Amino acid sequence: MLNRILDHLEEWLIATFMALATLIIFASVAYRYTGDVPWIWQYTQYLNLTWAQELCIYLFIWMAKFGAAYGVRTGIHVGVDVLINRLPEKQRRAGVLLGLGAGAFFTAVVAVLGAKFVWLMYGTGQVSPDLELPMWIVYLAVPLGSALMCYRFLQVAWRFWHGEPLPSHSHARVEGLQAEGRG
Amino acid sequence: MSGWIIFIGLILLMLTGMPISIALGLTVLAFLFFMTDMPVEIVSQRLFTGLDQFAIMAIPFFILAGTFLTHGGVARRMIRFASALVGHFYGGLAMAGVFACALFAAVSGSSPATVVAIGTILIPAMEKQGYPRRFGVGAIGTAGVLGILIPPSIVMVIYSVSTNTSVGKLFIAGIVPGLLLAAILMAITWIVAKRRNYPRMQRADLKEIVASFWDAIWGLLLIVVVIGGIYGGVFTPTEAAAMSAVYAFFIAVFVYRDLKLRDVPRVLLDAANMSAMLLYIITNAILFSFLLTSENIPQAMAQWIIDKHLSAWVFLMGCNVLLLIAGNFMEPSSIVLLLAPILFPVAAKLGVDPIHFGIIMTINMEVGLIHPPVGLNLYVASGVARMGLTETTVAFAPWIVVMVLYLLLVTYVPDIAMWLPNAIYHRPG
Repeated sequence: MLNRILDHLEEWLIATFMALATLIIFASVAYRYTGDVPWIWQYTQYLNLTWAQELCIYLFIWMAKFGAAYGVRTGIHVGVDVLINRLPEKQRRAGVLLGLGAGAFFTAVVAVLGAKFVWLMYGTGQVSPDLELPMWIVYLAVPLGSALMCYRFLQVAWRFWHGEPLPSHSHARVEGLQAEGRG
Repeated sequence: MSGWIIFIGLILLMLTGMPISIALGLTVLAFLFFMTDMPVEIVSQRLFTGLDQFAIMAIPFFILAGTFLTHGGVARRMIRFASALVGHFYGGLAMAGVFACALFAAVSGSSPATVVAIGTILIPAMEKQGYPRRFGVGAIGTAGVLGILIPPSIVMVIYSVSTNTSVGKLFIAGIVPGLLLAAILMAITWIVAKRRNYPRMQRADLKEIVASFWDAIWGLLLIVVVIGGIYGGVFTPTEAAAMSAVYAFFIAVFVYRDLKLRDVPRVLLDAANMSAMLLYIITNAILFSFLLTSENIPQAMAQWIIDKHLSAWVFLMGCNVLLLIAGNFMEPSSIVLLLAPILFPVAAKLGVDPIHFGIIMTINMEVGLIHPPVGLNLYVASGVARMGLTETTVAFAPWIVVMVLYLLLVTYVPDIAMWLPNAIYHRPG
């Protein structure tokens, strides 16, 4: 149950960040080129969109950190599996678990280091150049995303240990696009 | 010395099959911890600041645009337009397929996406017209590599980020080699088709050409938005990518209506999944190249090669061999991220133009995309055509030879890539 809520929250967050970042850049470009259209300018002249680039970058960094965790669940992070797939089944299983364990270890270390760094930033009270957001909130993406990713690695490893197949991502299948004949 | 430790550590970690991004990160972590007195905390900060560049954000935008375009009917209309133009030649539908791949490549920055978009429709259609399935799979799968050569191109954005070259120039430099490759592939298709007597289609009349052009105009206009926008100084490349994502959304949902509004969240999620994976490799690769630079490894390698008095000719041959080998193990973005920062300084010292070098790397990546064991186009084509991997590999084999010859041509005739950017950016007077 808790897992389901987490799954949905994760998906909802990254899709929203993606959409927001796109709309913001679109708006800022549109704003730049409608400056000499009087009837639009009349409404937009008090806006100030200089912060658009910065916000876009921050949104994408958050999207990337949480999306990387989602990616573990969908099996999109690929490695060099040419060698390991040739091993006998038992060794292959051990290898896969080792890989997942290494993933969990790395992300756990980054989560801890990231949390330390956020704590440090909190102390300095530094703010971002354009939006003047507190930097510690912005940097929070690193420990939070990494911790979630660590959880996902453990989850996949747990399921694999219990006999479920590894998640795998197929680039060839696009939902809603099926083969059709012509002529 | 430290260079050897870093590379051997990285290779060992990668061979266990763990994600490349994790292998990169762990190598850096272990090296910092055991071999230096730099604080390990720097890792978490770098993981953030590495991404803190507006130029990188072109990648998620181009992926989003590409995802909308694969769903929208843009590909189908481009195929119709292409068949109207070249369908009456021998192997008309196959030639139209290559042509459509080139058109689609001009709106999409990814090769596998191009194969999916064009191949899903065209490979079954070719089979229906009586082409051997192998031929269709090979031709369309190979033409799909145009996706990263004809601008926009995600691989070029990655190269420009990791070497600090101009994306705009790279895009411009990709146009002539891209069109040349499309022409070569079409010519080969025509020759093979003529010899084996593959079917021709009825010559389309002017009315059909105009009608199909109008039908495809919304997709074709995107080419103007991206290339024209960047070259004309209207947008930065990242802005152009964002505009093309919005534009692609608009035509997919409101103009061609191949996508319903309620499907949009799923498209966003698909694109986010793909972009997050790439951005994650990018952050870890930036971390890795930071380590290399702080250990002076690229400089030392450059010096070593300079001391050997290698000519640029030999060096480029070496690069091609190295990149082709790397293409056996990793996918394009990882290779570019890992090797561009190392090879680039040497190339620059030997007087190879950074833009030309970027195009050479891109074509190398294209070859990697169409051969086993990790060629993504191969997997996508085999998935789209529902054909076994071994047979798909056989289908691609002759095309791989063509691509390698083409690579040598562009490597040793720099003017193919450099003519257009030189003409545009260094206008006399």
